[in-house]
Amino acid sequence: MAGRKKGPDTMPKAETNAQLMIGKKRTKVMIYISLTFFALLVFLPLLWLFFSSLKSQADLTMNTWGPPKDWLWNNYIKAWKGSKIDRYLLNSMYVTALTIVITVLACTPISFVLARYRFRFKKLLYYVAIAGMMIPIHSAVIPLYMMVGDLDKYNNLNMLAFIYAAFRIPVSIFILEGFMSSIPRDLEECAFIDGCSTTKLFLKIIVPLSRDGIVTISVLAVLACWNELLVAMLILSKPALKTLPIGLMGFITEYNSEYTQLAAGIMIAIVPSILFYLIAQEKIEKGMIAGSIKG
Amino acid sequence: MRITKSNRGVILLFLVPGFALYLYLVLYPIVQSAVLSLYRWDTLASKRFIGFGNYVSVFNSSLFWKSMTNSIIFMLATTLLQVVIGFFLGYLVYLQLKGYRFYKTMLFIPTVLPSVAVGFIWNYIYSPSMGLLKPLMTALGLKASYIPPLSDPTLALLAIIIAQTWNSCGIQVILFNSGFMNMPGEVIESATLDGASGFGMIRHMIIPLSWDIIKMVIILQLIGALRAFDLVYVMTGGGPNHATELLPMHLFVNAFENFNLGYGNVVAMVIFVLAMLITIFMRKLMERDSLY
Repeated sequence: MAGRKKGPDTMPKAETNAQLMIGKKRTKVMIYISLTFFALLVFLPLLWLFFSSLKSQADLTMNTWGPPKDWLWNNYIKAWKGSKIDRYLLNSMYVTALTIVITVLACTPISFVLARYRFRFKKLLYYVAIAGMMIPIHSAVIPLYMMVGDLDKYNNLNMLAFIYAAFRIPVSIFILEGFMSSIPRDLEECAFIDGCSTTKLFLKIIVPLSRDGIVTISVLAVLACWNELLVAMLILSKPALKTLPIGLMGFITEYNSEYTQLAAGIMIAIVPSILFYLIAQEKIEKGMIAGSIKG
Repeated sequence: MRITKSNRGVILLFLVPGFALYLYLVLYPIVQSAVLSLYRWDTLASKRFIGFGNYVSVFNSSLFWKSMTNSIIFMLATTLLQVVIGFFLGYLVYLQLKGYRFYKTMLFIPTVLPSVAVGFIWNYIYSPSMGLLKPLMTALGLKASYIPPLSDPTLALLAIIIAQTWNSCGIQVILFNSGFMNMPGEVIESATLDGASGFGMIRHMIIPLSWDIIKMVIILQLIGALRAFDLVYVMTGGGPNHATELLPMHLFVNAFENFNLGYGNVVAMVIFVLAMLITIFMRKLMERDSLY
């Protein structure tokens, strides 16, 4: 693909193409109708959840679709107090933060070596590292469960973070290696002539220049750990140690008949995700694209 | 750069911790899974080697084949739905009409939500007592044909397919959109000037030009669907009567509820081999040179 360009410089070009391609007003209207239809499919269930979270039980049964008759913010207080949701949020934050630290510490130096040095078996090492991208965690979950038992690390949030980080390694190396390969070679030659050691070159030049890549792998790690259910469920059983997804599972069973409070609890659980997305939108989208497109 | 004697030690130090973690917690368990699939557990503490005995019992189990069939239906259906919808919406967003960023953001939101929450939302959409579906069908005059989808063996899998599509379609929108943004501008421009438009444009220009990304999205989605576990676990637990039991759920039930670890490891191997086959086979199958 000779004429292929990447990056923001293609954007204005695409805009003019788009202008050319949509000639008629009728086409435009059709486009807006389609987009709005699908956006509503996304939005309405969330709006309905929000409305449900503020209704009384009777109101919900009588009036499924509409806005609440009285806005019972009290449901939120009940859901917050009646569960350990604050605890689950904290646990999830802890595991997520630790996962990021481990992932970044493990992957940055490896990506640096793979991107900047030439040596025998480098290709092999790279392919071994990224092979895990296509491996479903389910193929490993039974031995992992037993290994954690042998190490006596059930109900250990640190153990969970190490497992999460290990499974983040392939895609993180894939993204970071690509990122670091694009840093100009001249930089390190200058550093080399100035007598820079390998460690210094890495810490003072490569890491600061790869900041965007490091942020991207961290942001993707946040999404992955924050929502992970299966491994957390197998490793954690103590209520005080549950992460948000499994805490939420327990919450659903417990509040099974009190839909409105349950809806409030679910709202509390999804708001952080939505906020995080709105803040880190660009990084999330770019990261997902970078992580899925193979060179 | 080359590795010299003086920096060899440091380089090694850079590589070892990460690779150790990866080998220990990712690659080793997979090898372990293959090994353990050859053992039988009489109690949780004692196991004995039985060769391919577990494979025989898995491949003779009608429930395994049922979950295999479910997984294949699930993979094909979600891939078809998500690729078509993702392509369509990704294209509309690519046209960059005013406000396209809003739509792009909106369409992506479900993919960042915890799947437990998504499962809950859809459970209640389908629920006969407070759900959205029943009043919707009533409003459309279809009240008589409403059956609670999650307790109906023929509808339950479809219900989960729809929930899954709602949950993860946003990724495809983004991927297609970025693929379209990378198409060579000049080619499209000249096609447009030559009078190409609408579906002709999509068929003769957009699809060939974005073939790489279509290929990638299909592979990713097939593998994603092969791993799907969360929504099934939250919404039906595999029921009613195993109608929604996909392979990962089948593994979970056998390994962690029936404690048949040997059987579970065989299913784990099946999932692993399928993932590898899809990656290799689909790439070969879809190799095709761009048409310009």
